[in-house]
Amino acid sequence: MAKHSIMVIDDEKIVGDMAKLSFEQDGYEVETFLNGESALERLKERRFDVVVTDLKMKGVDGLEVLRTVKKLYPGVKVIMITAFANLDVAIEALRDDVHDFFPKPVKIKELKASVKRALGEE
Amino acid sequence: MKIEHKIYLSNAVHILLIVLIGMFALQNLNEILTKFRFTVIAEGLNANFLEMRLAEKNYFLYGDNEALSNIKIRIDQTRETLLQVRPDIIRAVGAQKYTTLQDQLYAYAQLVDSSSKASHRDGAVQQKLREAGQSLKTFSENITALESDRIGAIIVRSKNILLYSFWAVVLFAFLFSNLIVRNIGQSLRKVVDLTRTISTGNYRKIEENPSNDEIGAVINAINAMAEELHKREKEIVQSKRLASIGVLVAGVAHELNNPLNNISMLAQTYAEVYDRLSKEDRITFMERVDEEVERLRVIIHNLLDYAKPKEQHLAKATTNQVIQKILALVQNMLDVSNIRIKLILADDLPDIYIDEHQIQQVLVNMATNAIQAMGKGGELRIASRYLPDHDEIEIEIGDNGKGIAPEFLDHIFDPFFTTKEESGTGLGLWVSYGIIKNHQGNIRVASQVGVGTTFIITLPSCKKLKRCTDGEA
Repeated sequence: MAKHSIMVIDDEKIVGDMAKLSFEQDGYEVETFLNGESALERLKERRFDVVVTDLKMKGVDGLEVLRTVKKLYPGVKVIMITAFANLDVAIEALRDDVHDFFPKPVKIKELKASVKRALGEE
Repeated sequence: MKIEHKIYLSNAVHILLIVLIGMFALQNLNEILTKFRFTVIAEGLNANFLEMRLAEKNYFLYGDNEALSNIKIRIDQTRETLLQVRPDIIRAVGAQKYTTLQDQLYAYAQLVDSSSKASHRDGAVQQKLREAGQSLKTFSENITALESDRIGAIIVRSKNILLYSFWAVVLFAFLFSNLIVRNIGQSLRKVVDLTRTISTGNYRKIEENPSNDEIGAVINAINAMAEELHKREKEIVQSKRLASIGVLVAGVAHELNNPLNNISMLAQTYAEVYDRLSKEDRITFMERVDEEVERLRVIIHNLLDYAKPKEQHLAKATTNQVIQKILALVQNMLDVSNIRIKLILADDLPDIYIDEHQIQQVLVNMATNAIQAMGKGGELRIASRYLPDHDEIEIEIGDNGKGIAPEFLDHIFDPFFTTKEESGTGLGLWVSYGIIKNHQGNIRVASQVGVGTTFIITLPSCKKLKRCTDGEA
């Protein structure tokens, strides 16, 4: 069985680095991006099974990433993380069919569980 | 006095003047008419005397009784006329002269009565009669001439008075309307100044007691409006401050959550992949944790720094020197970005009483913003001027950069608000605003997208703060 691929987008480098380390240990293929623009470019080239993105980023933000993913790959689930624990934004994101929403600091175990649910493994 | 009343009064004075002049002219005309009637009478009298003397000559020439009775008839006629016009003559020349005339006529009549047909060649009688007649005629002619002269004098006088009063009315009208116009003009200018001051956010009242006229009512209304605006502004400032605290808390949460999350993820992953990590990897992990802690420390330090500004070290300073000092600080940025500098510094500025370090911080912040807004090339404009009306210094920092969109303009002084893509904390203008407010000054901003942005800082002069003589407070 081919590895599941995860796209992680966050302007905080540590988020991508740690997600990569942790998810790769569990046998996922992980690509990390530091901004929305480079992620969108990559999405034009290939599909990921799950997209984990930060909400608030300069330039292309998480909501735009979400819309693009839904447009290009309607079945792909998007998980949103943010340091802004703002419920209004969360509701807006959920309405746009976000799979899950995590305020920072993120519990990696919960994130992993969410990714699994997104992949239909549980 | 109300302007309305002033105009009524002016009109009343004008009407009064015109009525007076008219009455005077009428009186003169009446006088002239009377004099004219009198000269007609006097001419009649003169004609009588002339006829009398003609008859007298005939008597001397022919010595007949007819001529003599002719004289008598003329004398009677003259007497009658004299009696008829007695009031006129007395009014014109006085009773004494009338009596003299009557006496002379009486004497002349006596002479004629005592003359006879025989005596017409008598030299002495002739002489007496001639003298008496001549004297009567001359007297009468003199009166007529005198009255003609008087008529002339009255006409000249009327003409002069009409001329003078005409100019007097013109002058009065000019001076009065000038006075009213100047009065209204001054008051209106006051009103214009006041509204202009209010529009800059300085809710100053017109200090002197407003006059009890329409302008006074306008000034009262504006004063009341200024007071109301001032009250409202206070309320708005208060609610804005509360909103700012909300924005600040949200911003702080966001700023802190990122490094907290980083530490948390580092720790979780560390535990998870511990077995696979080399010694160096583990050290790197801990170093990255430490870096994030340092990041938190800096954020907290800055927040505390901003929230509780260090005690101010206030001292007298010279505005233009402060500007020159910050120019040295930003010179490098100007050179790198190829930005020209245009200084318009007034040389009559009074000193200010400031924490120079803080004000420099504000000016550097403004200049940096301006330079960043312009990118490569452009012109940084720094001007200083004195506002004598408020006894304040104004420092203007302008750029011809990209400008600030109107929807952002209301928020640029909010904490954590930034439009800078990479390098903004969103605290610079908020801090600047606080510093200037602490100095009892003000910051205003005007901006147009694509044209540029201008920040205007006002600071009270040291004189206004009564801090020109001492050093540190």
